Amino acid sequence: MAMKKLFDRVFDGSDEMFARAEKSIAEVSANYDDSTPVAFPNTAYFLGILYAMTGRKNQTLGELKESLAWARSQMTKEERLDDVFKSGIGTACAAEVIEACKYIGNAAPYAESPPYLGHVTDAEVRELGVPLVTGDIPGFVVLIGAAPTDELAVEIIKSYQNKSIFVFLVGECAKQAEHMGVGMGFPVRVFPVGSELPSVAHVVSVAVRAAMIFGGIQPGDYEGIKKYTFDRVNAAVNAFEPVPDITVACGGGAIAYGFPVITNDEKDMWPVPRSLIIQPDVQQFVETAIEARGMKVKITNVDLPDGVGYATAFEGEVIRRKDMQIEADGSRHDCLELCRAAETNDVEDHKITIVGNDLETYEFGAQMNLALVAEVAGKKMQSDFEPVFERQFHAWINEIEGVMHTGQRDLIRIRVSKDTFDKGFRLRHFGEVLYAKIMSEYDAVVDKCQVTIYTDPEKVHELRVEANAIYDKRDERLKSLTDEGVADFYTCIMCQSFSPSHVCVVTPERLGLCGAVSWLDAKATYQLDNSGPCQVITKGEAADEKIGIWQNVDDAVNKYSMGALEHVTLYSIMQDPMTSCGCFECICGIEPMTGGVVIVNREFVPTTPLGMTFSEMASMTGGGVQTPGYMGHGKHYIASKKFMSADGGPARIVWMPKPLKDLVRDKLNATAKELYGIDDYADMIADETVVESADDLDKLMEFLAEKGHPVLELEPLI
Amino acid sequence: MDENKRITTVEEMEEDSRKLHDRACEVCGETWVERAESQKNHCKFGEGGICCRNCSMGPCRISPKAPRGICGADAHAIAARNYLRAISAGTASHSDHAREILHVLHHTKAEGPYIVRDEQKLINLAHEWQIATEGRDIYDIAREVAEVGLMEFGRPFGEMRFPGRAPQERQELWRKEQIWPRAIDREIATAMHMTHMGNSADPEALIRQGLRTSISNGWGGSMLGTEITDILFGTPTVRETEGNLGVLEHDQVNIVVHGHDPVFSEAIVAATELKETLDYCKAKGIKGINVVGLCCTANEVAMRHGVRMAGNFLQQENAILTGACDMMCVDIQCIFPSLPQLAQCFHTKFVTSSPIARIPGADHYEVTPENAFDTAKDLVKLAIDNYSNRDESKVWIPERKQKAIVGYPTEQIIKHLDNITNSHVDTVGSYRPAIDAIKAGVLRGAVAIVGCNNPRIRPDFSHYEIITELFRNDILVVATGCAAQLATKAGLMNKEAKEFCGAGLKRVCELMDIPPILHMGACVDISRMMRLAAGIAEDWGVDMTQIPVVGCAPEWMSEKAVSIANYVVSSGLDVYLGIEPQVNGSDQMMNLITEGTRDIVGAGFIINTDPKVLVKNIIDGIEAKRAALGI
Repeated sequence: MAMKKLFDRVFDGSDEMFARAEKSIAEVSANYDDSTPVAFPNTAYFLGILYAMTGRKNQTLGELKESLAWARSQMTKEERLDDVFKSGIGTACAAEVIEACKYIGNAAPYAESPPYLGHVTDAEVRELGVPLVTGDIPGFVVLIGAAPTDELAVEIIKSYQNKSIFVFLVGECAKQAEHMGVGMGFPVRVFPVGSELPSVAHVVSVAVRAAMIFGGIQPGDYEGIKKYTFDRVNAAVNAFEPVPDITVACGGGAIAYGFPVITNDEKDMWPVPRSLIIQPDVQQFVETAIEARGMKVKITNVDLPDGVGYATAFEGEVIRRKDMQIEADGSRHDCLELCRAAETNDVEDHKITIVGNDLETYEFGAQMNLALVAEVAGKKMQSDFEPVFERQFHAWINEIEGVMHTGQRDLIRIRVSKDTFDKGFRLRHFGEVLYAKIMSEYDAVVDKCQVTIYTDPEKVHELRVEANAIYDKRDERLKSLTDEGVADFYTCIMCQSFSPSHVCVVTPERLGLCGAVSWLDAKATYQLDNSGPCQVITKGEAADEKIGIWQNVDDAVNKYSMGALEHVTLYSIMQDPMTSCGCFECICGIEPMTGGVVIVNREFVPTTPLGMTFSEMASMTGGGVQTPGYMGHGKHYIASKKFMSADGGPARIVWMPKPLKDLVRDKLNATAKELYGIDDYADMIADETVVESADDLDKLMEFLAEKGHPVLELEPLI
Repeated sequence: MDENKRITTVEEMEEDSRKLHDRACEVCGETWVERAESQKNHCKFGEGGICCRNCSMGPCRISPKAPRGICGADAHAIAARNYLRAISAGTASHSDHAREILHVLHHTKAEGPYIVRDEQKLINLAHEWQIATEGRDIYDIAREVAEVGLMEFGRPFGEMRFPGRAPQERQELWRKEQIWPRAIDREIATAMHMTHMGNSADPEALIRQGLRTSISNGWGGSMLGTEITDILFGTPTVRETEGNLGVLEHDQVNIVVHGHDPVFSEAIVAATELKETLDYCKAKGIKGINVVGLCCTANEVAMRHGVRMAGNFLQQENAILTGACDMMCVDIQCIFPSLPQLAQCFHTKFVTSSPIARIPGADHYEVTPENAFDTAKDLVKLAIDNYSNRDESKVWIPERKQKAIVGYPTEQIIKHLDNITNSHVDTVGSYRPAIDAIKAGVLRGAVAIVGCNNPRIRPDFSHYEIITELFRNDILVVATGCAAQLATKAGLMNKEAKEFCGAGLKRVCELMDIPPILHMGACVDISRMMRLAAGIAEDWGVDMTQIPVVGCAPEWMSEKAVSIANYVVSSGLDVYLGIEPQVNGSDQMMNLITEGTRDIVGAGFIINTDPKVLVKNIIDGIEAKRAALGI
């Protein structure tokens, strides 16, 4: 019998999705009227797909009905790929309507059906920005349906996870993973979305929100969204047999966005190069998908025990006390990590030395002293790079499966899980990880590296004293690094793969808005690859030192934004503020009544006193757009003397979430003391315990007045 | 998107041509425009193919009153004879061109001047022809290959070799229908003989000989021309170039190479790169030498050297009218005899190089493999000397030009298809990815757009209309000759042109990193298209008639084109013509070329002079082939 044509399968599948959406609408309409609010939680992008594709802000059931009618209008059926793409995207939109119906009258419908999680928040999407840019997450994959066996489901998921590829699970495969005890959730990058196919809309939503958040693509720019996802979002679909027409229709949408579909279903399936690939052997899904979408998987061969994974996907793993074999806690015992430059002759490459007892000598749940010391040598090595490398220890060690790392310097805390210990993980493996990563990431400046691991309490104590002297020296050096004191700034365009018109200007007193690139990092990056993302801006004469205008800075942003940006000031949020990619840690926005600014970090979910959430404020800027009065920035920029110094400096800060305030408290206090002679400035700044929402602005004024906040003495910002 | 920003429209091209034409009037020159006007109301007997001049009893013209010639030949016999003679002339042209190239191959030596650049292709061909290669000097092999190739023209017994490259089904059909050609010269001679007074009067017999003669071109002369040219000068690869008269430079010596055979133009290009030439140029205070091409010579040197393309057939006079052409070097075919006269209105030196194309008023430098490079050096120096004779008051170079990506022989197409395979599923080295895209419907099919310009219809307009409409309908275009030149001038032959395509073709372009129209070379390289179609049919496992791939010659004019159209049909591919072949004085012949050949080779002509209708016919034809395949 003749095969059913691929296009007919898409068209029939889109009809099916539309019928299901109509049914969902009919069901909710039985209980709710057209004015009933419709929203996904914690997003400024309404129903993401519909907003991206149409610019419509669906906020009520009535509007949702209109959107479904629009989706229907897209399901055209000429025998051309254009119709397949439109029908496919229409199918995704119809699926989003179905999902939106679930959230009507129920803020957390997925809480009722574990392990599924449903909607992905804006904060989560933004969190993916940096790793996607750096390639630490090479891409996304959506698994749809049931793998042939539970074991195969786990094998595929683990394989993606080991390559740091983010996995979304739609349908039975999530249950299979659950049965097999696979740890799931956003932090470990295995995200069970929903039990039924329409939940795939939440994954599509991530991709199209990335286009709006990072790409600055305007909602409703249908072609622009498609182009962005095709060019920049590395995603793929793995659809397990049987693949019905409705899934094929969703596949049409996925392919329209540029995401290839790999399936083991051969019945009535038509291969299309690099788009729809029939791979009968599911064990080859992973490699087939990676090649089909051209994902660049970073491979660091680290000598670890069998079964202990090493991938950025494990960075978000939490080791609970009950699962913990051993802990090194710098707040209770002497612990530290240190990277230092050494003479070439003093370093024996790949030598790993243990001084003291190894892990097996400790009892389950024990505490230990631990010092991790890496010594590196190389002709181009500079002592300025030591802290740059050292700061990466956190991520590198965290990427070991079953190892958790927090903090830095002598305030680290490391936990090793029992499972990983049982698989044979020992101290030597810390050395292997540090060695492998230093040598692979910094090979341009490091020729040799050796690692020494100390557990001997006396030895660690001695080292701690020595290390503290080094840390102090570094801090002195950092303090001496001021914008005035250096001849060069750096550009950072690492994000341009995602946010093509954004350029960061990194100065000693202003780190990149992602929080990941300090001036020293940028300098090291330039040294490592002098045609890479960080380029020197020779500062030259300032046109206006107060506002932070340099001709050379303007020239650089103009050049590296391909002409999208003409002027940037370094110290003002009112006049030509620096742009944002979308992966900024914090955003500040002016609060007109007090004449100050409110700062909010990505992790803070509730509404700020501006009446907007982080996501909503963030959607005002990002994608390389300049919006005076709003600016994305790194957490540690808050305590910089240059923080909006042209507009009054940190004295403008009237509100920030308490955890953020606590994080920057000491440095911010020191800065305020130096700038304004104020003690305990952080306490003058309101937080969510004082002012919860925009309705409490009077309370904010009262609080500031009571504390004698310096903003009250400043000229209004507008 | 604002189309005009990216595309040079036919109207814009016409505007430039008009301005140049006005200049011709100023210098008292004339162009094809005046001549076409004065030739208007063409002879109806000639147009209908029913004027017989094959003996001195006539000429005889067929009309209702005089339905037969003096010998008794009717309209059908006369039209068929004339038609077959056109096929023979076309076959002779391509094939004689190939013969010259084979002689150059025979002349190659390690120390040059002509050498073998694609040794692998030579060795492959030697293997195909059972010529020993093991332990032999490459030039020894080259000579034997040339000798065997030359035997294809006049072998007394047996049959031609290259038709054996067609898929099995096609070969069997050619044998069954007794149209497998014996030898090139033999088929041409047979055709001339059959059409001599007192021989064949049966239109079908004459058509069959037409098919056989044409196969000796497409799967003979042209294929040899392509193959041996690749061996001599390298198989083309993808490269960037530019097209339209804007490629002429104000401050450089402009040398225009024109014609079809690259043997001489290759030497010119090489001569301009010599240090002594450049020094000579510098000593005269001139910035540099700018070689650009016209017609198929342009296609040849563009895809091997990136030499820029000044334009197609009806643009040849315009190149001189810019007043900035310091020398025009021509070789063979499609060269207006009007050129020397026009050149005399300016400072332009007009040089002929082949005994095949001698034109009064030209400076003739007969080029042989022995003297080609020395002659080229001398000529380039003459061109440099001539630069100072340029009369700036007579110079006007239109600014318009467009970027283009050229050079997609089958080898490059396969390579680009390999890039979209998945190593965990697919094998490389086949047309499978393209076939899969066609089967799924992403691409609806492919069309080979070829051929000339013809003042009978609005020049370039039909090419433009048809190409852009095919783009919108997800139909991939491959092009050669003057059609390819139009695409270049218009800006359709670059990767950005994907924006004018339907979603399917656009996606294929993005994934393969190709323009939506693939430049396969000169008109002799339509043999490459035959190999492409054959390869697709073979990898698909169906006959060539079944695949949704067709040929189209919207603006054809030459006898070569008649021969080409016939070998494409013989290969099982329908051919859509925008100009009517001159046989309409015979209803039997009209029926034979549109329907009758379908019974013999499974394909025929579809003719319409309205490009909008013709392209609709193409799309319908492709969809019908798809439906028949159940896709």
